[in-house]
Amino acid sequence: MLLELKNMFKWVTVGGNRIFLLKDINLQVQEGEFISIMGPSGSGKSTLLNVIGMLDGFDEGEYNFLHESVHKLKEKQRAQLYKQYIGFVFQQYHLIDELTVYENIETPLLYQDVKSSERKAMVADMLDRFNIVGKKDLFPSQLSGGQQQLVGIARALIAKPKLILADEPTGNLNSRQGEEIMELFTQLNKEGVTIIQVTHSEKNAAYAGRTIHLLDGRIEKHINN
Amino acid sequence: MFKNYLKTAFRNFSKNKVYSFINIAGLSMGLACAMLILLYTKDEVSYDRFLPGVNNIYRIVSKEVNPDGSIAMQSGNTGSFHGPAFASGVPEIVSFVRFQGDYVNIKKGTEVLGQEAHFVDSNFFSMMQFPLLHGDGKTALQQPDAVVLSETVARKFFGSADVVGKTLKLQRNGTFKPYTVTAVAKDCPQNSSIKFQMLTKMELRPDEISDRMNWFNFFLNTFVVLAPGADVKQVEKKMMRFYETDAKEMIKIVAEKYNFKAKSEYMLQPYTDIHLSKDYRADNGMVGASNPMYSYILSGIALFILLIACINFVNLTVARSLKRAKEIGVRKVVGSDRRQLIAQFLGESYIICFVAFVLGLGIAQLLLPFFNDLSNKALSLAYLFDLQLISGYAALFFVTGFLAGFYPALVLSGFNPVQTLYNRFRLAGKNYLQKSLVVLQFSLATLLIIATTVMYRQFHFLVSKDLGYNDKHVLTVPNISKNEIAVFRQELLKNPNVEQVAVRNNGFNGTLARVNGNKEIEFTMDWVDADYLPLYKIPVVQGRNFSRSFTSDTSSAVMVNEAFVKAAGWKEPVGQVVDFWYREKKYTVVGVVKDHHYAALSEVIKPQLLCNDENNFGLAVIRIKEGSAAAVLPYVEQVYKRLLPVQPYSYEFKDISNQRQYEAEAKWKKMLLFGAFLTIFISCIGLFGLSVLSAEKRLKEIGVRKVLGASVTTIVKALSKDFLQLVLVSLCIAIPVAWLLADKWLQNYPYRAALSWWLFAATGAGIVLLALLTVSYQAIRAALAKPVKSLRTE
Repeated sequence: MLLELKNMFKWVTVGGNRIFLLKDINLQVQEGEFISIMGPSGSGKSTLLNVIGMLDGFDEGEYNFLHESVHKLKEKQRAQLYKQYIGFVFQQYHLIDELTVYENIETPLLYQDVKSSERKAMVADMLDRFNIVGKKDLFPSQLSGGQQQLVGIARALIAKPKLILADEPTGNLNSRQGEEIMELFTQLNKEGVTIIQVTHSEKNAAYAGRTIHLLDGRIEKHINN
Repeated sequence: MFKNYLKTAFRNFSKNKVYSFINIAGLSMGLACAMLILLYTKDEVSYDRFLPGVNNIYRIVSKEVNPDGSIAMQSGNTGSFHGPAFASGVPEIVSFVRFQGDYVNIKKGTEVLGQEAHFVDSNFFSMMQFPLLHGDGKTALQQPDAVVLSETVARKFFGSADVVGKTLKLQRNGTFKPYTVTAVAKDCPQNSSIKFQMLTKMELRPDEISDRMNWFNFFLNTFVVLAPGADVKQVEKKMMRFYETDAKEMIKIVAEKYNFKAKSEYMLQPYTDIHLSKDYRADNGMVGASNPMYSYILSGIALFILLIACINFVNLTVARSLKRAKEIGVRKVVGSDRRQLIAQFLGESYIICFVAFVLGLGIAQLLLPFFNDLSNKALSLAYLFDLQLISGYAALFFVTGFLAGFYPALVLSGFNPVQTLYNRFRLAGKNYLQKSLVVLQFSLATLLIIATTVMYRQFHFLVSKDLGYNDKHVLTVPNISKNEIAVFRQELLKNPNVEQVAVRNNGFNGTLARVNGNKEIEFTMDWVDADYLPLYKIPVVQGRNFSRSFTSDTSSAVMVNEAFVKAAGWKEPVGQVVDFWYREKKYTVVGVVKDHHYAALSEVIKPQLLCNDENNFGLAVIRIKEGSAAAVLPYVEQVYKRLLPVQPYSYEFKDISNQRQYEAEAKWKKMLLFGAFLTIFISCIGLFGLSVLSAEKRLKEIGVRKVLGASVTTIVKALSKDFLQLVLVSLCIAIPVAWLLADKWLQNYPYRAALSWWLFAATGAGIVLLALLTVSYQAIRAALAKPVKSLRTE
């Protein structure tokens, strides 16, 4: 098992009232799964994704990731853990504007102290695989949305994560570009990468093995596709 | 990794040119100032330390302590007697050198040139090991007709430095005698308190060394070398014991004869302390005495400027952080930890700081001549360039980079990635830090600007105040005695441009006498002829002026000023007697002159006594027609040379020499102006940067307001208001402080320009206007922009 959430709660206190963002979440994810998270705006999809990605904390419950109890880890160890095993893809791509395509993809490796020659090889592989070798010296602003998202995914994959967390990866793309990204995810999943994506689109959700529906911070239903 | 940071940094800088310019411009100016001050300070503390064995050289100094414990006088001077006397009575004093500054006339062909010279003991070079170019220091000053020259002077008289054995004609006791050059020394370093140009052996009359009355004669510097390991405190005690035994009788006589109750105390002042000493200054042939106050003021200003530049950096970086929030979030998500981000942002501040540092070095080099003029020095980067200076500059670089970069790095690296990446990010709180920093900047700038205006007004007051006499178009020529004055006047008056010629003593003379039988009065005594008062247009308010028709005037008449009359308490001054009891001489007052500022305006008008005795005449005073200086000057010189062919000729304009009394003020004025300009400039560009960022941040708000029908004026108002409030707060803080400081400073002047409210009001209004211009430019631009654009980008 890759990760497990048990009785997880997350809330914020506004004006003395506790507002629940996540309510009693129980979720098990096996290695190699492809999961979609759906639900209306404000249902807690992104929050759940961020908690799984360890970018955000929670207030009650347990979180085990690869047999580590995340809730017991210190900030630093947690960072170490997601740095090594998790890659993120965002709706707004979130590339660093001042860096070129090549440099953006390279950045995670820098933070993992990968040697220069090795870095070169890994980035070259990635550019090759995504067919963007010709664009490696361009800046994000010179790319189309679909191309930017490709770079975003390449950056998420470069460090060979076990888990990809994608927050509406196709939300800013047209349907053709969206389809390409979904095909890519399917392909990656076949190669053994676990993927959890948040999406609004039924069609894109269908690419996954199962779909989790959230409503007001709680899991409403699991659907196996 | 480093490369990645560097790339991000440079792309960021070039993308945000305004921001980079503000930071680099401000920091480089601040750094340049700090560099100059560091150079100045290094020069100050390195003074005199180049002499080998300098730690064992001391100067004999003395003070006179009144019976009530107050100090009557402190002086670094001694007489010709003290050195030999102490050396014979205190075994720890190994050797002594007397050093006296003077001025000699030298004949070069038919020309007579004045030359600064020093009289020293023959062992001068054994104690003060100034390097020699030619000759042997041990023997150079053995003979009474030996002369040692500095390289510059040797070249001046002979055209080369290798002139040992050649002769120069020096005027001693009225006649020119040949002196043989025995050595040529390298010019003394710029950081030396002794800068001799010419040395000859001190010649003393036998009685100057034998007569114990000379314990009370002070006119030169005496340096001593102590035995190795001698305890200075013990030596001083022995010196006092020796003095009290050896001079016992003399002390008694002086006390009785002059009613002199103060007790003399002798001490040793380390040679290296002389330069910065306030109590025992470098004088009487020693030069460069410095007031540490200058160092403090200069350092203060430089620190202000650097601080303000650092504040710009902190404020702009934090304010701009919104733009970089996304980058920070992304970096965190892809695996950077906080330490690495701190390193990255601190690194960026160091890159900026480095560019500013290099620029600063250039600016410092450019400003050096100006700075040397201000600080009375001849500094250069090259001459003090050593490991110490380099490490000082390196420290400056690191501290500045840290000061500017650390806080922003801490703030930026602490951003929460989830918030930054989901556009939920707001800069926390009301930004009190940024606001207080802006307030601090503008308070400092205001303070300096007000200080400058007050300084300017006071300076203007000093140089333009009515002195009670007319110093315009008046020329003074020294070295005219009673023997020449009659002919000199006669010849000069032949020229139609010369209106009046008078004569007085050269220099100032303070003394005391008794009035009303036994009341002692201290006063300034001047010797003038009958033409002096009319020439300067000084009115006689009672009695009469000196007159050639009263032959007794030269021997028994005096005039006094109103302050003297007041001090003496006279109702009827004319006919009163002034008794110089110690010279057994009495004078009768024949007239009273109106009080006038015969001394600098930094002093109140003290009692003054004018005497007609021609034996002390020495300075001719010439009134010429307005605008005739060019025509008259050569004529005066020609007359003088004909009359006195073996005297060096010089002249001075009285109004210019009066102005020179305020040289210190003139320097402070320039210094403050410079500092004020830089602080307000850097503060304003910082404010400009903040207004740019604030307008960018509020682009959407402005768009919405315009769509809802807001006019350009209301938007400009809304955008400018916040900053103007800060400036107003600064004014409220700075003005009272400035008022207090200015008032305190002005207390140093008995005659001062009044501090008026409008001065502060005008300065305040000026600063508000400047700030308004700075922020409104950006505000207007933002307000005029089309709202469609700003709203669509969201």
